[in-house]
Amino acid sequence: MSSPNLPPKEQPPASVADAARRLATIVDAAERAAASVIDEAEREAQQKVEEARARADRIVAARLRELADQLDSSVEPERRGPPRLRPVDGTGDDDGMAPRRAGSAGARLLATQMAVSGARREEIEARLRSGFEIEDTDEILDAILGPRE
Amino acid sequence: MSATSLADLQALEERYVLRTYRRAAVEFVRGDGAVLWDADGKEYLDFLAGLSVCSVGHCHPAVVEAVREQAGRLMHVSNLFYTEPMVRLAERLSASSLGGRVFLANSGTEANECAIKVARKHAHRRGVEAPEIVSFERDFHGRTYGALAATPALAANGALGPMLAGFRSVPLNDVDALRAAVGGNTAAVLIEPIQGEAGVYPVSEEALLAARRACDETGALLIFDEIQTGLGRTGSLWAYEQTPVRPDVLTTAKALGSGLPIGACVTTPGAGEVLEPGDHGSTFGGGPVASAAALAVLDLVDDPALLRRVRELGAGLCDALLELEGVREVRGRGLMVGVGLTDGIDAPTVGADLLERGLVVNAPEPGSLRLLPPLTVDGDQIDRAVASIGEALLSYAPK
Repeated sequence: MSSPNLPPKEQPPASVADAARRLATIVDAAERAAASVIDEAEREAQQKVEEARARADRIVAARLRELADQLDSSVEPERRGPPRLRPVDGTGDDDGMAPRRAGSAGARLLATQMAVSGARREEIEARLRSGFEIEDTDEILDAILGPRE
Repeated sequence: MSATSLADLQALEERYVLRTYRRAAVEFVRGDGAVLWDADGKEYLDFLAGLSVCSVGHCHPAVVEAVREQAGRLMHVSNLFYTEPMVRLAERLSASSLGGRVFLANSGTEANECAIKVARKHAHRRGVEAPEIVSFERDFHGRTYGALAATPALAANGALGPMLAGFRSVPLNDVDALRAAVGGNTAAVLIEPIQGEAGVYPVSEEALLAARRACDETGALLIFDEIQTGLGRTGSLWAYEQTPVRPDVLTTAKALGSGLPIGACVTTPGAGEVLEPGDHGSTFGGGPVASAAALAVLDLVDDPALLRRVRELGAGLCDALLELEGVREVRGRGLMVGVGLTDGIDAPTVGADLLERGLVVNAPEPGSLRLLPPLTVDGDQIDRAVASIGEALLSYAPK
């Protein structure tokens, strides 16, 4: 028995092509939307990483500055206390200023301050070697930057 | 294109402007990064950066936007009231260096005036009746009378006398002379960690340590004039960070406003307590527009990646300059570079030649060029500058 109201078994070829195009358009739009969501998520993640890195840098810098302050005050406590006045005759017993003495306060302060300013371990090592003739810089640098990995 | 010709500008200057400068015959009309353009459209590489002022490059968009935004909202109210940029800037400067109080001024010389007042009052509190400030010969601390008195070469100009009393100087890096000069009457040792106007001459670590120790022994303050060396110029935010000492007071200006006039005197917590209301002041100091610009500058230069780049570019620049015929020595740190020329080469002549070739530098002394490019300069621009200097020097090297 025939049933003339039933839809034909196959759509005309033109309609199939239209549907495929519509489907492709929908899929394409969905893919673009997904890519945009992923891009946005990546941008946000990158921004959060950069913010976290900046925060970490600030925390490290603040801690290093505290260390520099402590080093400053522990090395020369008289700076913070009452001033000690004395004539300067250049012949006193303080000739042992020894700025180039290994491990001197100046070297430790230099290393701390360079670390605060973002210098690399190798840069600080080079300055300690050239300025203070310190060959084994690990003791100073490990205390400031942590042990070498 | 300028509305007025260079010749007309020169005529107007001759009629109306006090003769305090000898200007090069160039009118600049535009700047972008490390590049300047004159009124005829000629392009120049700027390796002077307005005397180390435009350290983030000409017209950096972040600074321009900060200025534009603040200028459109509030430009001035005086220091009788609060404005947020002023307080935030003081906080930022203190937190990035000595941790104490800050006075905001309009220039480097004014920052040094404040430092001198801090030192003198600090000394008076110690019972010193006639406090002295000790500096190095050839230091440059400014042109107002206090700072001028601490600038030995200029203070010797008798026609401007009498000078402010209570200043003395010793030869650069002469540790014995420094220790002999600092005594019970010393209020402060005021030094540039790297002498800029003299031609870029670093103070030795021995002299810095001697100054620190002498100040500690006498109760004097150690003041670093970081007006030229500060704000990343040497590859760290402050030059003292690459030395084995910390000052009690630090002054800064130049690059702080990227072209807007602003300076600051920064103290340690102890030193900053001596000034009280009425001791010092400034109508414009810490104004919101200049402070907003300075905050934008600090956002840019207080960046470890930029500072590392300054150190690396500076090292490369020095190495390349040393290869050139006619270069005797290279001094400085980071992108603050003094180029000592072979005897017989006149630096001002070379500087004028370089300007013709499209490179802006200056000659602070007869035998030296000074290079202070923006910290944002790129490697290609450095290569071009070195090539120009090399070509110019070939013309002047003694045969």
